[in-house]
Amino acid sequence: MSYTGSAPASSSLYWKGMESSGDPPILAGAQSAWDMLSDEQSQKHITTGSGDLNNILGGGIHCKEVTEIGGVPGVGKTQLGIQLAINVQIPVEYGGLGGKAVYIDTEGSFMVERVYQIAEGCISDILEHFPHSHEKSSSGQKQLQPEHFLADIFYFRICSYTEQTAAINYLEKFLGEHKDVRIVIIDSVTFHFRQDFDDMALRTRVLSGLSLKLMKIAKTYNLAVVLLNQVTTKFTEGSFQLTLALGDSWSHSCTNRLILYWNGNDRYAYLDKSPSLPVASAPYAVTGKGVRDAVSSNHKRVRVT
Amino acid sequence: MSATRGRSGGGATTSGCGLKRRNAPQDHEDSEVMNQDQPSTEDWCGRFWNGMELLKDVTEKKHFLPTGLEDIDTLLGGGLRQGQLTEITGPSSSGKTQVCLHSASNIAAKQMGLIMYLDTSNSFSPSRVATIIYGIADLIGQRGFELQPKDARLKSVMKSIICESVFDIFALFEVLHQLEVSLLNDKVNNGGSKVCLLIIDSISSLLAPIIGGKYPQGRSMMISVAVILKKLADDYNLSVLVTNHMVSAGNGAVKPALGESWKTVPHVRLMISRENNICTATVLKHTLLASGRTAKFVAPSQMFGGSSPRRP
Repeated sequence: MSYTGSAPASSSLYWKGMESSGDPPILAGAQSAWDMLSDEQSQKHITTGSGDLNNILGGGIHCKEVTEIGGVPGVGKTQLGIQLAINVQIPVEYGGLGGKAVYIDTEGSFMVERVYQIAEGCISDILEHFPHSHEKSSSGQKQLQPEHFLADIFYFRICSYTEQTAAINYLEKFLGEHKDVRIVIIDSVTFHFRQDFDDMALRTRVLSGLSLKLMKIAKTYNLAVVLLNQVTTKFTEGSFQLTLALGDSWSHSCTNRLILYWNGNDRYAYLDKSPSLPVASAPYAVTGKGVRDAVSSNHKRVRVT
Repeated sequence: MSATRGRSGGGATTSGCGLKRRNAPQDHEDSEVMNQDQPSTEDWCGRFWNGMELLKDVTEKKHFLPTGLEDIDTLLGGGLRQGQLTEITGPSSSGKTQVCLHSASNIAAKQMGLIMYLDTSNSFSPSRVATIIYGIADLIGQRGFELQPKDARLKSVMKSIICESVFDIFALFEVLHQLEVSLLNDKVNNGGSKVCLLIIDSISSLLAPIIGGKYPQGRSMMISVAVILKKLADDYNLSVLVTNHMVSAGNGAVKPALGESWKTVPHVRLMISRENNICTATVLKHTLLASGRTAKFVAPSQMFGGSSPRRP
């Protein structure tokens, strides 16, 4: 940021590059696609709890990306949000990320008893998968307490869109101090933005500013941002259709979009947008332990046509 | 903070103008010294070109860079033209990013030059790029390429795509300035630039937070971006590809975002829409060919290797 734009400053930039790599960098700080590929391949993903869901997401929720999850009320958005806040904490030795979670609650739907229950469910599943770790040293065992999982969720309760904007602006500082946070969940990004706005153009500007901030946070701190969104009806071509809230401009502001919907009595997830994966859908279930595979699915990838 | 960064962005344009007049990169040092006190009008004006010189310049330097998606290449008269700004617009998840990734991969695989990819929405997917590169059949036909193992080949291709994340307009000004400086260095030292394509996916998400409302600054920054991009395209034979989103135009219809004053900026405007697996591309504006032509093609996401389901 200190360069002046004069020729001497730029030529020093050029020569620095020549010395280090033998090839001058076109842009200091930029990465080649090759380097990014190896970075990406070493990345772990945050499991959703359901194998089928992980499959369509390419292994789970990706870090450095913003994922939007939308659906009708009661389909399980908050459940999935809580599940992710728990799953991100699965210790590295059990195949997880061992990170912490930030949960920004705008609707007041974060039920801490339920979180405790999901944490217990998560721990019992870990112990089922790693039966031998029972006898292992107590140091690993120490972490596997629901209390520890709860303690590593940073919870913000937001009551207006001003607070929400402020919280997102503050996140950058907060995350700088808490480098072990690997997921930021906003449940829901919509709630306060559906009211109190007379000037819709202003709403669009505020929201697109927020989305760029979240993109920046995701990339800078190598964490996953998950935005939960509500649905709304849209009048097109003579009929009402369900779409995600916040309008056409907002729909561009996520990297991935997952839509949760009911198919008869079964819950399904549909990957609607992704730069690297095909559109696909998979069933899932919400059980007492949290989000899991639908029992009937037989651990196979199911596509709805 | 933003004020200083804004000024450095503005400085980019002015100093850039002073640094490189198109006609005389060789006497740039002399004139810098001699005319420091009295810059003469001719220095800034540049020289005129006659039609034949222009034609020669166009045929030698302004090539079409093929996107690798045949239908789009046909629509565009061969691909993304160097020296021009091409815009792709379309609703969310219509395939804009896929066209960008595909163009980058194809042009890298054909070894036509370096690709500068500016990403604003964390949607540059290296694994997707690798998949596309593997899928480009005539890669094997490249000179010397068949001698290398598959991974080394992939590596050399992927090394020529350079990606940078940009999350606000001031960062964009800064990156473009830095790019201009290194392009100028290349031009002076190596007689030509290696970068042939600049992709910004998406430019509208950078501009959306600042345009509109009571104040005109946002709009003027938008036009500054347009000026810089067109200048880079023209001076260094870059092809510039940007994506734009769509906004509601009332009555359930949609239109490209960024309004009337941006409308004049791109040389070529292509609109993409997707219905299930079928993409439709429509030329909204073109400098050489008739607009309004459409082509239907299979969504790039189809090339992931499986059949995609319909929307529920």
